[in-house]
Amino acid sequence: MKRYAYYQSCINESMTKEVDRSIELWQHDLGIEMVKMHESACCGGSNLDYVSPKHFALVNGRNIATAEKQGLDLVVSCNTCLMTIRSAKKKLDESADLRNEINEILRKEGLEYRGTSQVRHLLWVLIDDVGLDVIRKKVKNPLSKLRIAPFYGCHILRPSTVLGKDNPLEPTSLDMLLDALGGKTIPYEHKNRCCGFHTLLVAEEESLNVAAEALQEAMEQKADCIVTPCPLCHTVLDGYQGKALKQNGIKGSIPVLHLSEVVGLALGYSDRQLGIKRHIVTV
Amino acid sequence: MSDSTIQHHEESRDVTFRVHRFNPQVDSKPYFDDYTIRLEKGITVLRAINYIKEHVDSSLTFRAFCQAGICGSCAMRINGMSKLACTTQVWDELDKAREPGVIKVEPLRNLPHIKDLVVEMDPLVGKMQKYSNWVDSKMPEEQWGKKEFLVSEEEFLAYDKATDCILCASCVSECTILRAHKEYVSPAVLLKSYRMNVDSRDSIHDQRLAGLVQDHGVWDCTHCYRCQETCVKNIPIMDAIHGIREDAIERRGTKDTSGARHAEAFMEDIEKKGKLVEATLPIRTNGLAWTLKNLLPMAFKMVMKRRTPPPPPLVKASKGIDALRKEFKEMTSHVGKDHEKKSGE
Repeated sequence: MKRYAYYQSCINESMTKEVDRSIELWQHDLGIEMVKMHESACCGGSNLDYVSPKHFALVNGRNIATAEKQGLDLVVSCNTCLMTIRSAKKKLDESADLRNEINEILRKEGLEYRGTSQVRHLLWVLIDDVGLDVIRKKVKNPLSKLRIAPFYGCHILRPSTVLGKDNPLEPTSLDMLLDALGGKTIPYEHKNRCCGFHTLLVAEEESLNVAAEALQEAMEQKADCIVTPCPLCHTVLDGYQGKALKQNGIKGSIPVLHLSEVVGLALGYSDRQLGIKRHIVTV
Repeated sequence: MSDSTIQHHEESRDVTFRVHRFNPQVDSKPYFDDYTIRLEKGITVLRAINYIKEHVDSSLTFRAFCQAGICGSCAMRINGMSKLACTTQVWDELDKAREPGVIKVEPLRNLPHIKDLVVEMDPLVGKMQKYSNWVDSKMPEEQWGKKEFLVSEEEFLAYDKATDCILCASCVSECTILRAHKEYVSPAVLLKSYRMNVDSRDSIHDQRLAGLVQDHGVWDCTHCYRCQETCVKNIPIMDAIHGIREDAIERRGTKDTSGARHAEAFMEDIEKKGKLVEATLPIRTNGLAWTLKNLLPMAFKMVMKRRTPPPPPLVKASKGIDALRKEFKEMTSHVGKDHEKKSGE
């Protein structure tokens, strides 16, 4: 059983609880264990870095140091947490001064940032550590009837200098996983575009226009559902779907599933067990 | 061996350019023309479309000048991505083509279309004017030409990369928020504003910043990083956007705009709980009236699906919050010392 330090994303503890619930259900089936980091702090949601770059480095250096103390890689299931914590890691790895400054503070808590733990998305762990062949063999309920629009979201792709796993212009990781689960992904221009989440409270009209465009293309392509590896994208595309489509005069609706939920469905768990009933748009 | 690898090793081959055409004086709607020409490896997209204009179809219209990635005139969308035709190798694009041997060429997005591959740059120029993106000299006019400004290396490095911008508008074309609202300031304009605002020779920093924090300004950026990813000069545009935000919070505080209040909430919550208190985030960002008007209609469904974030007292603080608070405070005193040092210089 390979173990990982599992970062507790704020949104998965409040609005999208079904993400962690579904991972807990199937993790052992795939030979992995996500050890919850109860001491982790909010990454700053791609805001703290400009409110105070030094607090940003401290908080995320501490998050990574906590994983390092356990000798585990830090795994997240939210794109923005991924990008944010990896950005902090990059800054800390590149600056001995910054590293020394935060370590001087962290030492009092018995922590030290060394840069030994990697910061990875759950999707990457499934592909690189578990392996698509193993996943294929474990599938009990292939998603063969589903035409899926894969929505990667921004912060698992861009900036590529911080992420670097997929080609941001032509990403393939989510498509590969969905293929291993027996699903059929459709060509989807919005796969690497934005959901609009980060301006929902600041420029709502713009955010909803962004979301509506992504939803509209998936519906026009006759997708049965959208699948995303990010709970923030899910919150806009599912929770705000009605409002976004109404604002843009678009009729219809489309279910939006979390990556962790489709893995669970393919491994034989029910929609009730996985928390899919909690979605705003009925699946 | 895959198709694309075969293409990559060929020294010459037929290539089809599927070019967006539209002449508003004649055409009712845009269409694509296919031009198939024999090309040699090493040729750029600009040289290829120049060849088409000279030898195949003289009506094909596009802008180009320096042919060396300096003037920024020939930005267009090649295989769906905004970039300079003059620095883009045909053979590289063949590897990315969705249809083997076919390269799609379209005009930039997010700017009014004039003809074929030409777009109107006036809206971009207008926004540069709106945000006063030039150095308005601090030096009294009578001293011009008699006195020098001394610029430190540290200051120069702050805007060195931003000055690489050639105003090609590739980032403008790829911007998510500009696509959602044409009034949005746009990434190239923010980059230029940042460059002017960190210049010590400039006298209108505060006035420019006051404009940037208004509606459709710096806080409307959704951090999608498409601008940075598409930049033909590899300029970290998001660093500039974040730089303006950092400056806005430092100079104007955290209360004057919804963007600043929203950002500050993260800082507050992390120090208090180590977690974001999502339930009150809309109220802290936009006030009670906005929250009731905009979110109440959705709240009923959210409650029914048990999707509402917990009220503040029920948000459990992270384990080890006392240690985190102490560390946070200690860093606050470091930041205070940094500021003293900076203002003493």
